[in-house]
Formats: sequence, structure tokens, C-alpha cells
Amino acid sequence: MLDIVQDVSLKVKYQEALVIKGASGSGKTTLLGLMAGLDQISSGDIELLGNSLGDKNEEQRSAIRSGKVGFVFQSFQLVQGATALQNVMLPLELRGDSDAYDRARHSLQQVGLELKKNTLIDHLSGGEQQRVSIARAFAVQPKILFADEPTGNLDAKTGRQIADLMFRLRDQSGTTLVLVTHETELAERGDRQILIDSGCLIPLDPTQNTRLGQS
Amino acid sequence: MLKIKSSGIQSYWLMLVATVITVSIVSSSQLLTQRISLLLDRQASELLAADLVVVSGEPISSEYQQQAEKIGLDVANIISFRTAIFIDDSPQLVAIKAVDDAYPLRGHLEISKDYVGDKLKVGQGPKVGEIWVDPKLSQLMLGPVTLGSAQFKSDWILTFEPDRGGGSVFNLSPRILMNIDDLTSTGLIVPGSRAKYRLLFSGEPEKINEFIEWIKPNLKAAESLQDLENARPEMRQALDRTRQFFALSIVLTLVIAMVAIAITARHTANQEAPKVAMLRAFGISQTRLMRFYAEQLVKVWVIATVFGLVIGWFSQYPLQWLLDTWFGKELPAISTVMPYTNAAIVGFISLIGFSLPFLFNATATPPMQVFRPSHSNRSIRRNIVIIVTAIFSVFLVLIVLVQSSKLAIATLVMILAVALVLPAIFYLMINSLLFTGRRQFWLRQYLLSRLKTKTRGALAVMSGFCLALLAILLIGVVKDELLNSWQKQLPDEIPNYFLINLRTDQVPAIEHFLQQRDIASSESYPLIRARLTHINEESVQDIEFMDPRGANLLKRTFNISYSDQLPDDNEVISGQWVANDSATPEWSIESGVAKNLGLKLGDILAFDIAGESIKAPITSIRTVLWENFKPNFYLMSNRQLLENQPQTWLLGALIKEEKKAELKQLIINFPSVTLLDITELMSRIRGIVSRATSALEFFFLFAMASAFIVLMAAIQTGRREREQESSLLRALSANIGQLYKVHIFEFTLMGILIGFFAALFASIAGWVISAQFFDIEYHFSSSIWLYGILSSTLVLTTVGTLVSRKVYHVSPMKTLRS
Repeated sequence: MLDIVQDVSLKVKYQEALVIKGASGSGKTTLLGLMAGLDQISSGDIELLGNSLGDKNEEQRSAIRSGKVGFVFQSFQLVQGATALQNVMLPLELRGDSDAYDRARHSLQQVGLELKKNTLIDHLSGGEQQRVSIARAFAVQPKILFADEPTGNLDAKTGRQIADLMFRLRDQSGTTLVLVTHETELAERGDRQILIDSGCLIPLDPTQNTRLGQS
Repeated sequence: MLKIKSSGIQSYWLMLVATVITVSIVSSSQLLTQRISLLLDRQASELLAADLVVVSGEPISSEYQQQAEKIGLDVANIISFRTAIFIDDSPQLVAIKAVDDAYPLRGHLEISKDYVGDKLKVGQGPKVGEIWVDPKLSQLMLGPVTLGSAQFKSDWILTFEPDRGGGSVFNLSPRILMNIDDLTSTGLIVPGSRAKYRLLFSGEPEKINEFIEWIKPNLKAAESLQDLENARPEMRQALDRTRQFFALSIVLTLVIAMVAIAITARHTANQEAPKVAMLRAFGISQTRLMRFYAEQLVKVWVIATVFGLVIGWFSQYPLQWLLDTWFGKELPAISTVMPYTNAAIVGFISLIGFSLPFLFNATATPPMQVFRPSHSNRSIRRNIVIIVTAIFSVFLVLIVLVQSSKLAIATLVMILAVALVLPAIFYLMINSLLFTGRRQFWLRQYLLSRLKTKTRGALAVMSGFCLALLAILLIGVVKDELLNSWQKQLPDEIPNYFLINLRTDQVPAIEHFLQQRDIASSESYPLIRARLTHINEESVQDIEFMDPRGANLLKRTFNISYSDQLPDDNEVISGQWVANDSATPEWSIESGVAKNLGLKLGDILAFDIAGESIKAPITSIRTVLWENFKPNFYLMSNRQLLENQPQTWLLGALIKEEKKAELKQLIINFPSVTLLDITELMSRIRGIVSRATSALEFFFLFAMASAFIVLMAAIQTGRREREQESSLLRALSANIGQLYKVHIFEFTLMGILIGFFAALFASIAGWVISAQFFDIEYHFSSSIWLYGILSSTLVLTTVGTLVSRKVYHVSPMKTLRS
């Protein structure tokens, strides 16, 4: 077993945009996954939206996430063979929303893809696919959104547009955002940055991009 | 220089397993079919008392015997002739058969002290100084019998001789069997005597074939070669059908195995694509990559061949034990490496033919995929290459394994139709289902879009599994239909005795005798001995027949008959059955003889009947069901043509065990009548049918095992995608119930579609095969639909869900990491 982080404590405030930075292999994605309840922690505890995840199995953690947590992935993770609209409808229908269709359409409208709602995912560009992914994440009106390198697979210009879109929607909805990135420009848009390094979490000054000291 | 390093055989393990199975199937099925076939042939050969016979009207050259012994064949000699003996001062024509100690080479003789008493099976004829006599001659047992100038002891009644009739069961005088060493002392055979000489041979099939090759050009004009093909039409049909059932079952089993290779090859190629993109980005040429994959495939083939042959060899033993129980007799061993070489060749063709195009396709993966994975690197041209190579591979395999090119082509067409049509049908169906209810995605639309997506290859896997199920249904259900129809042709209540040599005036009295004793009998038929002399006014001596069977037929005397009614189980396939009360001479000919002699409607045949030439045109061609054991004839005419010719009559009777005592009275009342017991012959044919059924059950097990591999391969190939999907659904907060639902509904939907189309194509293929290859009327059965849809849905849903349940425990973290 590998210790990703040791003796650390981290609190994410309501409606805050926290950015986790770190070198490749430093454990950024693992930390994000653990915080989101996607994996089991080996020791200690994580509290997500007031629920302790430490002693919960996947089924219970899934119930905690349901309808309250959204994700944006580096590789989009969309259902191939389905349309943009259907991809956005999926998490809504999984939690039993009866107006999934209308809400998904609205969400796609917000990301500027209303006209491409019936286009198959395979026929969309990388940037468009990530927009669908963001629409899907915001469609469930999450309390907290976890984004893992959301611009990592995109060119700089598209990446910037995606970042704008994500932060705009987050500002509109007041969703808490936990973002993992190694891109400085994107990281600087967060309210707070922390660096993960050798299992330690180090706060950074968002304006100076310098270490503030261990938290 | 950058070197491509093999990631080890583990990358190809699914393909390796599929190839091992293919090689095992071919080697073990070939080994066993050859052994079963040899056993069936031997049992059938017992009806000839040998595997091959040379028949001649003159003494046969000792050179044949020497050559046969040199090759390693067993040889036996028979001399048969007719002579008259005196019984109670009345002359009686008898058929004497003098045999040496080696006779019979196949089968056994049966003797008893009393005709209805216990029978004793023996493997040798009478000793010197002894004769065995026909039941009709049982009065000879009272004292010594004089044959020519020698006297013999007669203690036994000969109740069964395997080769009685030697081709025609109807034309018999009462038999006396004696030792060939006594023949000279009788003085009955002198130069110029009319006698039939038979030289019998038996041995390994390869040696028999070698001997046939040698003897054919050496045969003299008066000599002919007899094997089962031309000696016993009733047995020939049974064996032909059995062999075709075998061939069909092996081919279908192999189709399933090849589907497994194709599915796993596709899976491997998809897995290799990212690696190839990276290597190409590093500047490795496509040619080098192709060479690299070709080498990998050869390694897979070598390993698979070794394992496959070992498994094939070992699998003989448990299967042999099982078959020994079914067959009640030990399977004969074979001494040929052909099953092994065939298995290795088929393994190579299947592996290379199905895998190489996929891997070559993978080598064309654009380096761009390093940056942006996509699965659309297959052009139409490359897809065509994959399809054409696969078709060619299947055809090569069929050529290696199936001797009948007609069956090979039919199977290829069937496979092609299914392989090409099915993905299109599935695609269209899924698309049309996707078109409706678009306002709701979960669950129906979600499932359909997953099935449609290229990356999962669901359409290819569904088509492959459908082909496998189709093969199973054909072997399983259609086989039952075919065998049932076949067995229906051999009902229990058919005549087990032929009463022959009846005089015309005796027929009503004998019919009355049987009726009085409640013994069922067939219609009686006249028998006229005739020799074909001219076809369309041309002497048969001047005609060169392309088919050697045609030439052989000319050497025999035909037993022809006439009747107002078309006999039972005969079917006129061309022309009109001879008209009742027709004064115009007409022939009706059996379709096999017509084919062998190259005859058609309208041809004029002239026969020599007791010195008189009788000619008439062929007005109908009939098929005859030889296995029905009713009086059957190659040639029949209208009554007027033959009514006045010298003739005897015959009829079939069903004489049950409790009525056998009546036989004595029958022989006393009608001493000139010969009774021919065909119970043994019937049980042989029934035995072949039932053993063929058992052997097919065994192939069914093979087919099931292969289909299971296809199923596992199909499930396994989609496993990575399933893990990914489950992980994503989990991240999107799906609960375990929803994950189960996805898989249960997915496999159920696939199962119903696969089952439906497999049943549809199996029904069509069953009908074509029945009509084209087995000449059996096919009844469309609802059971094929029931078994097809139920089995595919239940098996796919159960196994698929059970195997897939592991993916429910995959952490959603996988989504983040992918």
C-alpha cells in the first residue's frame, strides 16, 4: 500500500474554489478521488457534505454523492454512441429526475451546445465533448464539483474557454469547486491553492504562487 | 536502433486459448471420427464378410493374393456354384459355397442344431469333411450327404452368413457351406464349370486403398471389384448419410471455434492499437510492425499446436471410454498422422487467416492516436481485406476437412450469409429502436447506444455468438429432426423374412398360409433375371462408362420386376409411373443406376431374358428407399412387358418370435420356397443409425464446449469497456441495482436478438441441408425457436451477469485514472 498523504488536514469551504497542484505522480488525482468518495481511504477520515466517508462502502458513498456531487474528467468520460443531450440526461435519470430531458437541454444551452444536442458524442470535437461533460456535471446542480485536469486534453485556447465556462457556471450556481491541475493559469483562477508534495499539503499564495507554509 | 520488444505471450492469451481449442477439436474429432468411421465401416463390411472383394467367373490369379499379403491384408477364398443334389430321390438345386479357413474376414457365421433353436456364432466355416446346410435342407442332417464323389457329415444348420446373396438377397437357392479343401475330392468343379470365384480382402483402410490402386489397372474383363459402395445399396445409403452427418457436425463445431479466434483476434488487435500508435510515432515502419506481429502469431501457433495436439491426443481416452460404452465395442486404432497434421494446418489457417488482417489493420493505426485516441482507423478497404481473408480461411479449412466440395461450398455460403447479413440486421434493428423514445435515455436508449458503439464491437460479438448458436442449433435440434425422419424410415414392424423362389401358382396359397396364421406380409413381386445388352441400340460392350460403377453394373444380372402400383417408399422424380393396363412397353429405373449408367428418360434399354431380347424406353426415374427392407428393384416395367417371361416370386413377411414355429410347416408345405432371414441385416443397419446418433451426441458436446469459449471470449473482450462504464456510472452515483440492471437487460436483449436470428437461420439452413444432402423431408419445428431464444437468453444473461459482476466492484477511481 502506498501512502499518498500523511498527517494532513484540509477543509474546503462552502462555495470556495480550491485548486490542488502538484507534480505528476504526486497524488493529486488520488486525493481528489478520496475527497469525492470515489475510493476507500485506508486510515483517517473524510467528511463530504457533512457525511463521514471513512467507514462507508462504495454503495453508501454513492448514495452520499448522488445528486450533490458533480465531476469533470480530463478524458471527458462520456457515453460513446449516445448524443450530447443523452449524456447530460444520464446522471439526472440515474437519480430519478422526471424532468431530466428539460433540465439537460437547459444545461446544454448554458454551455452553448443547444444546437448540437442530438449530435453523437463521437462526432463532437474535444472542446465540445468537455462542454458536454461540464453540462452533465452542472445539470444535477451539485453542491460540490470535482474537476480533474479539465483542460488537460485540450489546446490552450479551448482550455481557456472551458475554464471560463466552468468558472462562470460555478459563479452562477455557487457550487463549491475542487480542481486538480498543473496549469498555472487555470490554478490562479481558484480562491485558494494547495500544493501536494511528498505526501504533504502545502498552501500556496494564489497571487504570488509561493508556499505559505504547511496546513 | 529502436527494437520492438514483445510484451510476451500474455498479450495474446485469449487468442492462444482459442487456437489451442481449435487444434484440440480438429485433432480429437478427426481421430475419433476416423476411428468411429472405421468401426462403422467394419461393421458394415461384415455384410460383405470383407472390406473388398474381387469377383470373377474364372479362377482368380494367385498374384492378387500374393500382392495383398505383401501389403499386409488378410485374404480369404470362396468358390460358389450351383449343383443339384437328390433329397428323397427328388433333385434339388443347391448353391454350394466352398470357403477357406480365413472366411469370414469380417463378421461371423451363425449355426444351430435346429432352425428355431439357439444359434451359435462362429468365426470360421466348416472343417474338412463337414458341411453346414440351409434350414430348408435340414433333412440332410439325418445321414451322410453325398456331394459329387465325396461324402460329408452334416450336423449343423447354417442360419446366417454375413455375405449371403453377395449383392442381391433375392436370388438364392438353398445353401450348402463346405470347406474349400474338400472341393477337389467332390470333383464338382472341373475346368469349364460355371462357378463364381471370390477373393476377399480385409485390413487397414490405407492398405485397402493402396491395394485398390494396384488392382484396378490389373483387373481382367471377367473380374469386378466389390466394396460396400456397390455391393449393398441399403448399407451404402446408411453409411453415406452417417459420414455426411459427421462431416457437417465437425464443420459446424469448427465454425464455432473459428468464431472464437476471430473475436479474440479482434480484441487483441484493439488492445495493441495504442501501442502501435506509439511505436509508429517513434518512427517504426508499418512493414516492421507487420513482420513483428507475423512472428508473434507464428509463436502463438507453435505453442497452441503443441498444447492442442497433446489435449487432442489425451481427450481420446475419456471419450473413447464413453464411446466404448455407447458402441459396446472397442474402437479400432488407426495408424495415421493425418488427424494431427490436419489439426496443425487448420490451426494455422484459422489463426493466421482471422488474426493477421486484424493485426495488420492495427499496424495502420495513425500515430496521431497517441494524442487523441479514436477507434475509426479502419477504412472500408481494410474491412474488405479482413472479410475476404476470413472467407478464404474458412474455405481453406473446409477444403482440408470436408471431402464433399458441395457440402463445403454450402457451409461456406451459409457462414458468409450469416456473417455478412447479421451485423447489418443487428445494426438496422438497433438503429430503428434507437429512433423511438428519445426523450428518455435511461435504460433502453442507454443500452442500445452501448450496443451500437464501435469500440465495444458488440455487433461483431453478437454476430459471432449468433453464428455459434446457429451451429449448435443445427447440430442439436436439426440433427434430431433429421435422425427422427431417418429412423422413421426404419419402423419396427417391417418384414424380417423374405420368402423367395415362389412359383407363380404357389403365391395365392402362400399368401393364404400366412394370412391364416396372422402373419403380416408385403405385396408379392415377380422376379425376372435379366442381363442388360443394349442401350439405345448400342451394345453395352461398346460403351465406355465414365463411372466405374456403371461398368460394374453391366457385369451383374438384374432382378427386374413389374407391378401396376408404384412400390412403397418409391418416388417418381422424373417422367410418369408405368400406366396401368398399358400395352406399350415401359421401363422405370432407379435414380442411382440411371446416374451410374448415364441414362435419361426416353433411352431404350434392351435386356436378355432367358435368351429373348426385350426392349422398351425408360418412361420414369424413381428414388428407392433401400433401407426400408421391402422388396426394392432397380428396374421395373409394366405388366404386359414381362408377364409371360420365366419368373419366380418373392414376398416379405413379418414373422415374430412366437410365430417362428410356423416356419417348419411352411417349409414342409412349400419345399421349393427359400426363406431368407434378414433380421441380422436389419439390426446392423439400425445399429449404424443408432451409433451414428450416439457419435453425433458426442460432437454436440464438442460444439457446446466451443460455444462456451465463444461466450467467454465475447464477455471477456467487452470486459474492459464494461469496467470503464461501471466505473463511470458509479462516479455518476448509480447504485449497484442500476449496474445489475444494465447488464441483465443488455445480455437479455442480446440473447433475444441472437436467439431469434440463430433460430431463423438454423431453420433455413436445416431445410436446405435436409433437402440437398440428406434427401429427407424437413419439418419446420417450433422447438428450434424455443431452444434458440430461451437458451441464448438464459445462458447469456446468467453467464454474462455472473462474469460481469466483478466489474461492479471496480472503484470509480478508475474513471479518473483512465
